[in-house]
Amino acid sequence: MTKQEKIRVIEEMMELGEGTLEEGTVLKDLEEWNSLAKLSLIAILDEQFGRKISADEIKALKTVQDILQYME
Amino acid sequence: MIDAFDVSGKNILITGATSGIGKAAALELSKAGARLALISRNREKLDTTLQELHGFSHTVYSFDLKDIAGIENLLKLIISERGAFDGFVHCAGAMQMRPIQQNTFGFIHDMMLINFYAFMELARVISKKNNHSERASFIGISSVMSKKGEKSLSAYCASKGAMDSAIRALAKELVMKNIRINGITPGYVKTRMLDEYVELAGQDEFEKNVLTNQYLGLGDPIDIAHAIQFLLSDASSFITGTSLIVDGGYLS
Repeated sequence: MTKQEKIRVIEEMMELGEGTLEEGTVLKDLEEWNSLAKLSLIAILDEQFGRKISADEIKALKTVQDILQYME
Repeated sequence: MIDAFDVSGKNILITGATSGIGKAAALELSKAGARLALISRNREKLDTTLQELHGFSHTVYSFDLKDIAGIENLLKLIISERGAFDGFVHCAGAMQMRPIQQNTFGFIHDMMLINFYAFMELARVISKKNNHSERASFIGISSVMSKKGEKSLSAYCASKGAMDSAIRALAKELVMKNIRINGITPGYVKTRMLDEYVELAGQDEFEKNVLTNQYLGLGDPIDIAHAIQFLLSDASSFITGTSLIVDGGYLS
């Protein structure tokens, strides 16, 4: 999966239009980065990327790039 | 004097017996003199739990209840070793939070396997002739979530609601065999499952949603264990087809 495709996954997760997010987008500036989005991220990382992420690690996420690091 | 709450000598199966409510039930029932067969996935935890029990007539079985097709053979083995059951308590369960877009068929199915299908299979097999005693009592551990919804918990809520509905129907069938079947509806209880929920839902959300409604505070697994003992005993012999609410006031 390319970086752009991964960003698209994140956009879909928050039901954002294509091209809304960039690597540097700050998560806390997004209204859609709410508790449901965070739960969705846990499920997506687990099912699509085989990665577990803890609540503390989610709290530490600042930008889209931080999420991408879990999508390796 | 005959103690209606007496469960001594009863041969009881407990699933999910190595943590939370299941473990508390095992400890309390063993103190009360029941003879227990414990099922859990984790062999080491089973051995540890076994050592903590009172009395010596208990046995443990390492088994993943998601293997629904294997449950009957496991129960045959247990019954051949221990005799017919006086009751079972299905404490094994899974709770995972997922918003609707992640609520896939596979995820829901996994939740139903352990929370509902395994319960139905236990009831099916143990209610067969010679697998249960004269006046057996079956118990499923439900949740306040079967009666009140919560964000991201639709699969869990549905699995517990399915159990509650099935219990009402099964009670009418199983009365022919003198078997009573009931659920217990716990509120929020101090378990590892609760810790995971608070971690994901957030402390603020937890305090707002839970602690304000559950005005007796958080429950202890032993509170639920006492309800289990009651439903297994003759003290509850006029109770079937219902779910006993033990929720610190949450649903009131």
